[in-house]
Amino acid sequence: MSALVTFSEDQRDCLQEVVNVAMGKAGDSLARFLRTFVNLSVPRIRLVGADCLPQVLREHLGRDQTISAVRQGFHSATRGGVHGEAVTLYSDSSFQAMADLLDFDSSEDANQIELMLDTSNILTGACLNGISEQLGGEVGYSAPSVLGLHCGLTQLMAPEQLGWDQALLIEINYSLECREFYCTLVLLMPADTIVALRSILSGLLEDL
Amino acid sequence: MQRGTYTSVSEMTQSRGAVQLDHVDAGVFEVDCDATVLSWNRFMVRHSGRGASEVVGHNLFARFPEIPEAWFRRKLDSVFALKTYAFTSWQQRPYLFRFPHNRPITGGVDCMRQDLTLIPIVSDEGVVDRVCITVKDVTDVCIYQRMLEQSKTEVERLSRTDALTGLYNRGHWQERFHEEFARASRYASPCSLVMFDLDHFKRINDTHGHLAGDQVLHAVAELLNQTLRVSDIAGRYGGEEFAVVLPETALAQALSVAERFRESLAAATLVGPDGPLAVSASLGVAQYKSGMDGPESLLRLADEALYLAKRRGRNRVQAAVRST
Repeated sequence: MSALVTFSEDQRDCLQEVVNVAMGKAGDSLARFLRTFVNLSVPRIRLVGADCLPQVLREHLGRDQTISAVRQGFHSATRGGVHGEAVTLYSDSSFQAMADLLDFDSSEDANQIELMLDTSNILTGACLNGISEQLGGEVGYSAPSVLGLHCGLTQLMAPEQLGWDQALLIEINYSLECREFYCTLVLLMPADTIVALRSILSGLLEDL
Repeated sequence: MQRGTYTSVSEMTQSRGAVQLDHVDAGVFEVDCDATVLSWNRFMVRHSGRGASEVVGHNLFARFPEIPEAWFRRKLDSVFALKTYAFTSWQQRPYLFRFPHNRPITGGVDCMRQDLTLIPIVSDEGVVDRVCITVKDVTDVCIYQRMLEQSKTEVERLSRTDALTGLYNRGHWQERFHEEFARASRYASPCSLVMFDLDHFKRINDTHGHLAGDQVLHAVAELLNQTLRVSDIAGRYGGEEFAVVLPETALAQALSVAERFRESLAAATLVGPDGPLAVSASLGVAQYKSGMDGPESLLRLADEALYLAKRRGRNRVQAAVRST
C-alpha cells in the first residue's frame, strides 16, 4: 500500500467550505426538480480506506436497511484533474415519495429505475457543478447506472472488490419535508485526485 | 493544407471540428429551449432519412411525433434550468427516434436501441442557451444483454431439473416441499405427500440394460405429469424413487390421485428396446397434520406407508397409518 495522502488543516477547511456551498446548490436543484423543501446535513469529508467504506456509510444509513444505489462517473476536462464516481444511496421508502412528487407511475420497475437515475443525475450534476465552479474548470459526466436494487450495503461495495486502497469521501444527506425520502450522495475520488485537489486548494488559499 | 481557404486559424479549426463532428459515428444535434433544432449531423441524416434542411429550424416534436413529448421535455427542461447533464438509457426507454439498425437480419430487435446524453451549452452570458444531444447506437449491447438473460434463465432451469426425467431434481423439489410445508402449517391448510417407488426396477436394469431403465424412468415421469394437476410438485427423489407434494389436498383426494396414477401405470405398455415392458409402482400417501415438527416428519410418514405398500405385495397405494 502506498503512503496515505493527507490534507493540511487549511486545505481541509477550504474544501469543507467549497463543498458546503456546492451541496446547497444541489439541494436547491433537487427542491426545484421535486418541487418541495429539501433538508440537508452538513457534508462530511474524510479520507477512507476501502476496508472501512461500508462501515463508514452504515453509520449514516442505519444497520439493517436495504437500499438501492446509482453510480455515475465524473471527470474534469483536463487529464490528471479531479475525477471519481458519485454514488447515490436511497432508502427503499424513497421511491414512493419521489413517484408521488413527480406523478410517476411507480408500479413499473423501469419507471422506478428511471426516476432514481434522473434524481441521482441531478444531485450529482448540481453538486459537482457547484464544486467545479469554485475550483475552476469544467466537469463531464458519464451516464448513471444502477449499482444495486433493494440490497445490503456490503453487497454494493464489498471491500475486496473495490481495487483501491484510499479514497476521498464526501458524504451529504438529503431528506424531504413531510415525505419518507432519504438519500445520501457520496462522492468518491481516488488517491491521484486527492493529490490534484490538494494543489488546487493550496492555489486557492494563496489567492486569498 | 490549402492556405487561404480559411480566414483565421480559429475558424479553420472550428470548421474542421464541425466536419469531424459531422462524420462521427454517433448522432449529434442541438436544440434551443423551445426544442427547435439548431444542428443535425450526418448520422442523424442517414438514420432519420431527413436532411439537415428538413429538420434544422423546425420543432423537434413536430418533426418526430414518435418522441414522447412530456417525458423528453422534462429532461430538456432540467438541463436548461439546472445546467446539468441528463441521460436516457435503452434499458428504460429503448429509443427516442425510430431508426433502423445495422443488424436487420441477425438482430431480432425492431429498431435501433439508443442511449442519449443531453449536454448543456453555456453562452458567454453564462446561461444555457442550447442543449447538445448525442445519440449512441447500443443495439448490440441490447442483443448481448438479451442473450445473457436467456442463458441465465436456461441455467436456472437446468439447476432445478433432473436431466433424465425433466422433473424437479431432489434439491429443488425439497426446497419447494419445505415451502409448501411452511404454508400448510401457517394457514392450517391441507397438504399431502406421495412417495413412490417402481417395483422391481433393478430387474429391468439387469435384464434389459440401463438404457431400457432410463426409458422407463422417462416414460413414468411423462405419465406422472399427465396425471397430476398444475399445482402439484413432482420430483425425482432418488434412482427410481419419486415424490409429489399436493398442496391444498386432503388425504382422501391424494389417495385417489395416487390410485389413478397407479392404475394408468399398471395399464400402460412401455416400449423397451426388446419389446413391451410391464411396470408397476408402490405408493405411500400421508397428509400434513398440525403439530408436526417439520417436513421430515411428513416425509417419514409417507416413506413408511410406501414400505408398507411394498410389504403388502407391491403395485398398490397405501395411506399412512400412524400419526405423529
